[in-house]
Amino acid sequence: MGGEFQLLEHPSDIGILARGTSREEALIEVSKGMTSIMTDPARIRSAEERVFHVTGSDDASQVINWLNEILFYFDSEGLIFADFAVDAWTSQAIDGRAKGEHVEAARHELRTAVKAATYHQFELKETANGWELRVFLDI
Amino acid sequence: MLSIPIERVDEYRWRIPKSARPGMRTDALIFASEDLLEAIRRDQSLEQAANVATLPGIVGPAIAMPDIHQGYGFPIGGVAATDIETGVVSPGGVGFDINCGVRLLASSLHVDEVRPRLKSLVHQLFRDVPSGTGQSSRLKLSDADLDDVLQRGPQWAVQHGIGSTADLDQTEERGCMPGADPQAVSSRAKQRGRPQIGTLGSGNHFLEVQVVDEVFDREAAERYNLDQGKITVLIHTGSRGLGHQVCTDYVAEMERVMERYQIRLPDRQLACAPIQSPEGQRYLRAMASAANFAWTNRHCIAQAARDAFKRVFDADVRMPLIYDVAHNIAKIETHQVDGKSRRVLVHRKGATRAFPGQPVFVPGSMGTASYLLLGRPGSSEAFGSACHGAGRLLSRSASKKGASAKEIQKELESRGIIVESLTREGLTEERPEAYKDIESVVDVVHNAGLASRVARLKPIGVIKG
Repeated sequence: MGGEFQLLEHPSDIGILARGTSREEALIEVSKGMTSIMTDPARIRSAEERVFHVTGSDDASQVINWLNEILFYFDSEGLIFADFAVDAWTSQAIDGRAKGEHVEAARHELRTAVKAATYHQFELKETANGWELRVFLDI
Repeated sequence: MLSIPIERVDEYRWRIPKSARPGMRTDALIFASEDLLEAIRRDQSLEQAANVATLPGIVGPAIAMPDIHQGYGFPIGGVAATDIETGVVSPGGVGFDINCGVRLLASSLHVDEVRPRLKSLVHQLFRDVPSGTGQSSRLKLSDADLDDVLQRGPQWAVQHGIGSTADLDQTEERGCMPGADPQAVSSRAKQRGRPQIGTLGSGNHFLEVQVVDEVFDREAAERYNLDQGKITVLIHTGSRGLGHQVCTDYVAEMERVMERYQIRLPDRQLACAPIQSPEGQRYLRAMASAANFAWTNRHCIAQAARDAFKRVFDADVRMPLIYDVAHNIAKIETHQVDGKSRRVLVHRKGATRAFPGQPVFVPGSMGTASYLLLGRPGSSEAFGSACHGAGRLLSRSASKKGASAKEIQKELESRGIIVESLTREGLTEERPEAYKDIESVVDVVHNAGLASRVARLKPIGVIKG
């Protein structure tokens, strides 16, 4: 079974509920979900890779730091990712990679910029069918 | 619908007593009409206002404005004052978009001169002001330039020939918050912000060409060269990725140290530290730097807008700055609380400083109207504050279902409003129906004595990210 994500309602912002067979897969799905808010992921080529190493004292802070890493590359280098891999997820850190390319207005349909990932109603849990991860974003 | 107990104080005031929830240290005071309160109760904003009332060192009530809606940790449209010695500072009480705010330019042009060339004007503005996601600034800042912007705000721009000192005189804090220290801003925040100075951003940010639709306070309007039919320009944006990263960095830092200061809160997004702690002080220095960046951002956009007007009309067009206000910021101020003078840190998240005589801008949606108000003595009840906008009514996804970008653009054009947006979402998520009625929000603020109406400004041209 592959992972999936859906967007959630918030009065002024937006949330993502992602499902996967593992928590790593759920994290990859939530990352894709965030990309889909910013542009059409299908049009992103895997031309560049960035290595992610994010730390945090618990799952919530690690996931939020991971998502904020994606936003950092978007704002600072104009990089947008659609292909994610999680290599290791320990109690202190997540290590992984993201592949994507520089945004070009002519080729990429720009949607909504994301300011930050938040702790609002954050949830990561194991269910009967795998893992669920819920994150809300500030738009 | 929330079950949180709320008491009516009078026609425009409601109270959540501190007995409503365990941990509340004070009441929450909500400025709203009965109708607005009904809309407010549909989301979690009152719950969030009650959570704000649990902050250590909070002074007076936690305040909610009539445009309040659910945010993260803090509601958007709220004010919280904390004691400078014993209270906390919370980055969430300022928000991710530090010094998001509004700048209003007057002009020597009348709507009759602008109408025939409105489409060209909007197009020129759209070309000259980088609006949205993925677009970079035309200003290239060196490391030293960026530090200078963070330290001194738009003084940097004036020194480089962008705008004038007259602009600084009409900017809150003259665009330079005391205590700014670029060293307190992470290199990541600087990297995020550097390519974005002079850009609008997306979401609810915009640049609007407006016409003065009605004047309510002739004397005040004359002071700002405003008269019915005159053209104004309203710019709504903030500190872009730089401010977002400062907030992200310090929420994480305060999360780590709250235990050490024995602070326990009902929502992690309220993360805070004592104002007098090293972390609190460092955040305030970083916040002031990000605020200076935001003022520089609006300053540069305003100058780009003036240049665009000059290209379309003529070089003699005058566009003086009326004022520039922050509506996401924390400031050290003195206020009377229970008959005593107190030094407090006033967190305004989606709220505008409204000291008596200070201009207050209340942007509405792209299809309705915005207001210029003047702060009134009654604002002291809200730590010298008033509202900041119309407040959202529909979620982004609900708004998107209502109409396509093309339909919205056409409908607005049929009403004489030309809109250009980099993204479809800039239209579909921000259509007029997604917002509360600006008139009822302003009614409450005016009638409660927080700020009084000066003029109503109607949009005729809008650029969106």
